[in-house]
Amino acid sequence: MLGSTADSLFWMFRYIERVENTLCMIESGFQLYLLSSSNLNNEWDAILRTNSIRHHFLKKNNSLDSLNIINFMLKDPKNFNNILILFEKARENARRSRVSITSEVWEAINTCWLYLNEELNKKINESKIQTIIKNTREKIALIFGFLERSMLKNEILNFCYLGTFIERFDNTVRILNTRYYLLLDEKKIRFEGYDNFQLEMILRSISSYRSFMWKNQNEIKANKVSYFLISDKDMPKSLMFCVNETIKNLRSIHKKNFPKNKSYQNALSIQKKIKQKNRNFNNYSFLNSLFKLNMTLAANIEEEFNFQ
Amino acid sequence: MTYFTKTYDEAFINENSVRTNYKKLISWYKNQDNNELTKINSDAMKFFENTGVSFKVYSSDKKENLIPFDIIPRIINSKEWDKLVKGITQRVLAINFFLTDIYGQQEIIKHGVIPVDLIQNNPAFLKQMIGFTPPNKTYNHISGIDLIKTNSDNFYVLEDNVRVPSGASYMIENRDTMIKLFPELISRYKVSENRNYPKYLSEILKKSSPKKTKINPNIVLLTPGIYNSAFFEHAFLADKLGVELVEGKDLRVINKYLNMKTIDGWKRIDVIYRRIDDIFLDPLSFKEDSFLGVPGLMEVYRNKNVTIANAPGTGISDDKSIYSYIPDIIKFYLGQKPILKNVKTFKCRIKDELKYVLDNLNKLVVKEVHGSGGYGMLVGPLASKTEISKFKNKIKKNPYSYIAQPTLSLSTCPIYTKKGLTPRHVDLRCFALLAQEKVSVIGGGLTRVALKKGSLIVNSSQGGGTKDTWILSS
Repeated sequence: MLGSTADSLFWMFRYIERVENTLCMIESGFQLYLLSSSNLNNEWDAILRTNSIRHHFLKKNNSLDSLNIINFMLKDPKNFNNILILFEKARENARRSRVSITSEVWEAINTCWLYLNEELNKKINESKIQTIIKNTREKIALIFGFLERSMLKNEILNFCYLGTFIERFDNTVRILNTRYYLLLDEKKIRFEGYDNFQLEMILRSISSYRSFMWKNQNEIKANKVSYFLISDKDMPKSLMFCVNETIKNLRSIHKKNFPKNKSYQNALSIQKKIKQKNRNFNNYSFLNSLFKLNMTLAANIEEEFNFQ
Repeated sequence: MTYFTKTYDEAFINENSVRTNYKKLISWYKNQDNNELTKINSDAMKFFENTGVSFKVYSSDKKENLIPFDIIPRIINSKEWDKLVKGITQRVLAINFFLTDIYGQQEIIKHGVIPVDLIQNNPAFLKQMIGFTPPNKTYNHISGIDLIKTNSDNFYVLEDNVRVPSGASYMIENRDTMIKLFPELISRYKVSENRNYPKYLSEILKKSSPKKTKINPNIVLLTPGIYNSAFFEHAFLADKLGVELVEGKDLRVINKYLNMKTIDGWKRIDVIYRRIDDIFLDPLSFKEDSFLGVPGLMEVYRNKNVTIANAPGTGISDDKSIYSYIPDIIKFYLGQKPILKNVKTFKCRIKDELKYVLDNLNKLVVKEVHGSGGYGMLVGPLASKTEISKFKNKIKKNPYSYIAQPTLSLSTCPIYTKKGLTPRHVDLRCFALLAQEKVSVIGGGLTRVALKKGSLIVNSSQGGGTKDTWILSS
């Protein structure tokens, strides 16, 4: 396989995953808006910081107006990570690697792109936001469905999954990083005014509230939320799950050589770090080091497989 | 139904009388529900949109366009087709002999058949190719021959495209679409298969390998990238051929061989099916600032360590000024009478002919010798007085760059509209593949149709559409 093809596959799925993650965040913010929640501003603030776009948004806007933020995140050209731009990049990479993906996967990506272009280029009113998010998420699910069902189980698929899980790890760690203070041990000082509601919002922003509650007998506690997001190996958005999937896919591409490779070694060290910390996550530098390690891992992959 | 055409129509003799080829089609059509057909017609376009069958018109935006597809097939019987195959085979072989000669001994010039200045001053003539014979002595592996019909008996050759002819993917997609939309119609006829094009293409590319053993050569398709107008086709063909789709940045010359950068390191390449123009192939030999090609590629090629299909320099033979000499070229190399006729062509480089052209611009179609895609041409009968006078000045300034042809009454075929069938002008691009002096002409081709009433310009970049083309088996 060409190095540049591996590059396109990897980035195609990083962008698709980023779109999915961004949509989840918009949805959680929008829910609060509909409920006229008093926590609305804090929530948007956290979402904008998670996406590293707070500064860009506030350059143009004086207040954290919900609809302005949603518009900014969906389609404002001033936001280089808006949904339209992200999906356009995903599709460009899909075109570049068109020969490597099945026509089912390609068509699922292309129809999602056509849909977003049609819907987001119109004026977006409040009543349509939920429909657009729901339809787009369904279309993305279709892409992953065809990826699983129509592609050969070979290195092409491995690179698609590497992109997916590196990006998902990045997203979860960013969310944790932005709100690490919420996850501090109960015994330690809590910021005034924060309660379980914020913890619930963390879970909602990665669409995992229900699965958490199901697993924890409807009881929300900071340490349990931390464990769920960081160490739970069954939770598809947890850091542990993402790094395990990354390791699996790297082993599969490297075949016999995997123990020697830098990327594989780095992925193992992330796994080890998470295991060691176990239930004790309460510091910012731990999360920050995971964030950096994941970035290094991505760079290792790009270098080892001759991306361009 | 009112169906009226002044020129030769391939389906109807007059409103009430249908030609033999089209009888079954028209009787089928009459039994169709118009609303249903309208829906199918728009479904077909939706299908193309979702699958990403598109092309791009050169412009600043990134917009992709769909080539309109017409659901009424064009039908050609086996007798007409057999003649076309013979004629195309003859031209393709003669062009390969011509290229071998023109970059070799230049006998054709020595015999005074072709004026020397036509070659010497021609930018499509590559000095880098002089004295070099490509691997397996093949230049034009892939040709796209454009034909038009003016009456029941004759197809004329309009152009021989042997640089990087495109359109084969649309030919295949059109057939796929017709089979999906109208299986009951296609089964009423015995239609030749054309979706085997990639199989033949794969065979000739393998045969063209410079390796002595032609087993599993490493073939790649070189594209300028996703913003190229024909990128869809590049990806489509690479997929069907089962080869890597590469860009210049994926390639490098290492130790006298061409290599591509894979996830496991560099891998040697034997054959490039290139879809970029000559001048972009190698910045060391041609355009210095080109990033589309590979530095040092021409040296690898001259050492016969890689095959480039089509060979660099092939463009000299499909140049519009050389076109008018093709009948002479056929006679010179094959000693045969041309089977397919050329369209009468006036060369503005010749004084008397230039005078005739300038005096009769309102009756002629004038083309730039190096133009393509319907750009830079004047259709006299449809042009305004101002357009004609502007074009007159352009020709006067640079007569060597222009040729002119009489406006031909291109045949028409029915297309589907909401109001019923209506005639539109068509041409036909046939694909021929050459390896080891054997030519394969693919059964059918791409019919291009001018969708605007009365228009003679069929190019997709100028509002043309396409149709499936059915060659009936004998």
